Amino acid sequence: MEIATYKNDVWGREVLLGVSWELLWLVIVVPFVFIALHAIFQASRRKKEKPSSGGERVRRHDGVDRLFHWVMAASVFVLLITGVFPIIGINFSWLTIHWVAGIVLTLAVVFHIVRSLFWQDLKSMWIAPSDLRELSDTTRKPGKYSLAQKGMHATVAILTLMVIISGLILFAMIDTPWWDRSNALTEATLGMMFFLHGVATLALIALICLHIYFGLRPEKLFYTRSMISGWISRDELAANHDPKRWAPDKSV
Amino acid sequence: MASYDVMPDVQLYQPAEMDDALELADRFGRDGWILGGGQDTYGWLKDRAKHPKAMIDLNGIEALRGVRKSDDGIEIGAVTTLREIIRNETVNAEYELLALAAGRVASPQIRNVGTLGGNLSQDARCWYYRRGLACYRAGGNICYADSPQGMNREHAVFGASRCVAVSPSDTAIAMVALDATMVVQSVDGERLVPAERFFVGPATHITKMTSMRPGEILTAVRIPSTWAGARFYFEKVADRDVWDFALVSIAAAMQVDNGTIGDSRIVCGGVACTPHRLRDAEKALAGKSLSDETAEFVAPLASRGAKPLNYNHFKLPLLENLLRRAVRG
Repeated sequence: MEIATYKNDVWGREVLLGVSWELLWLVIVVPFVFIALHAIFQASRRKKEKPSSGGERVRRHDGVDRLFHWVMAASVFVLLITGVFPIIGINFSWLTIHWVAGIVLTLAVVFHIVRSLFWQDLKSMWIAPSDLRELSDTTRKPGKYSLAQKGMHATVAILTLMVIISGLILFAMIDTPWWDRSNALTEATLGMMFFLHGVATLALIALICLHIYFGLRPEKLFYTRSMISGWISRDELAANHDPKRWAPDKSV
Repeated sequence: MASYDVMPDVQLYQPAEMDDALELADRFGRDGWILGGGQDTYGWLKDRAKHPKAMIDLNGIEALRGVRKSDDGIEIGAVTTLREIIRNETVNAEYELLALAAGRVASPQIRNVGTLGGNLSQDARCWYYRRGLACYRAGGNICYADSPQGMNREHAVFGASRCVAVSPSDTAIAMVALDATMVVQSVDGERLVPAERFFVGPATHITKMTSMRPGEILTAVRIPSTWAGARFYFEKVADRDVWDFALVSIAAAMQVDNGTIGDSRIVCGGVACTPHRLRDAEKALAGKSLSDETAEFVAPLASRGAKPLNYNHFKLPLLENLLRRAVRG
């Protein structure tokens, strides 16, 4: 199976055309196989007692951060639908919707970067060497975010930046209300941009499948609830987090 | 570069029944090529730019041939030749616009074998694409015609989305003006597609000219009686009058009562990736008389919203003039 596709440019030289979209089935099947195996493994384990969601509540996510998350989620879904559906044969006028959603995602990510740099505790999401002990010591509880969550965030951040930067460059190649399309890139450079855009998209599809799965798992569902309502209970905090590493001071 | 001294290896099927043709189209899907008169097909094969595995020749299917009267207008089989359409009495008496358009397709020799279905579903004529370059329309990621050095004199001034090729069909604009319906069949049944939605632009599907899917066959075109006997105007401007594709063409159908225009459908070819309706002009014409004053009034509307490329600004005054000629008294 090819990772990239190639074409001959106007001079007959072979140049990169983009990612091979035959990989699409792979990035859907592989996460689902993993999900099935993980679900079976989890079902076979003895159930831990679920902490109560009642009682005192503490704030996990501010409203503005929840809004960012769901705006980003919505724009990513629109981008995937408008980007991938035409490839699998569902044709509609997708391009304008795609770039509008791309601008929404870009603005959301810029907002998030600025906010996390100046108004949030950046370290709470940064992978520190001490976090790696969570791999070997399963009794070790994380701070605000587990190593898995930090790893997912870092990977999604890199892929999202990759898809945004390549997308913005490709954006200059089409007509918009602000400029006429440009032909400034060589065919090889254009092919590389399409390749990076496609690779990042495929990886994001796989990660989003996993993200949704873990967000819906019974033992993790309170995280999804906190991304909607903002809070977790004191019991959930105590059961899943180390108060020395994360001690939220805001009660709800 | 591929060898040009032998025919490419293609399986030829010549079904005599529609069911057999549909089964073949379904079996081969994207690898099948529906063959009418072959006037678009053979160029592709000669240049080795397309590589179908199977060719499904529809010419042996009698049901796909001829002009038939129906309860509400006429139905024309997809493999009816353009010459048969030009000479058909009913078409000439009631839908002259189609006869005029068919009469301006290519040359007499091509009209003798070229079919209505083939003319309607023919591929783009952009030479970068026809040459076999991997442009957007060929599944690539660039438009050679819309580059600083690109030769784009014949290309689109409306509705371009990455690809700037135009719809080359003369009969397509007549069909849209006559509000025709395309009958598209597959093994799953029949689909009726209004002519205006039959042709798709690059924003919707950049590698196709029509909304037909693999396994489907255009079997007939139905023209409703709505525009029978209306006032028609067709004009095509090309580099060579004897045999060329339109630089700009116009097909107009107008309901005229005592010199006053009622409803109208005015469609242009050679300016967009699909037949381009002049809706602003149609609205402006309602209630106006056929006159030079009306022509002057509506002409600027024809080029409204146009985005010419480096070498095709000339299409704008040409388009306006064709609209003038269509509506003057």
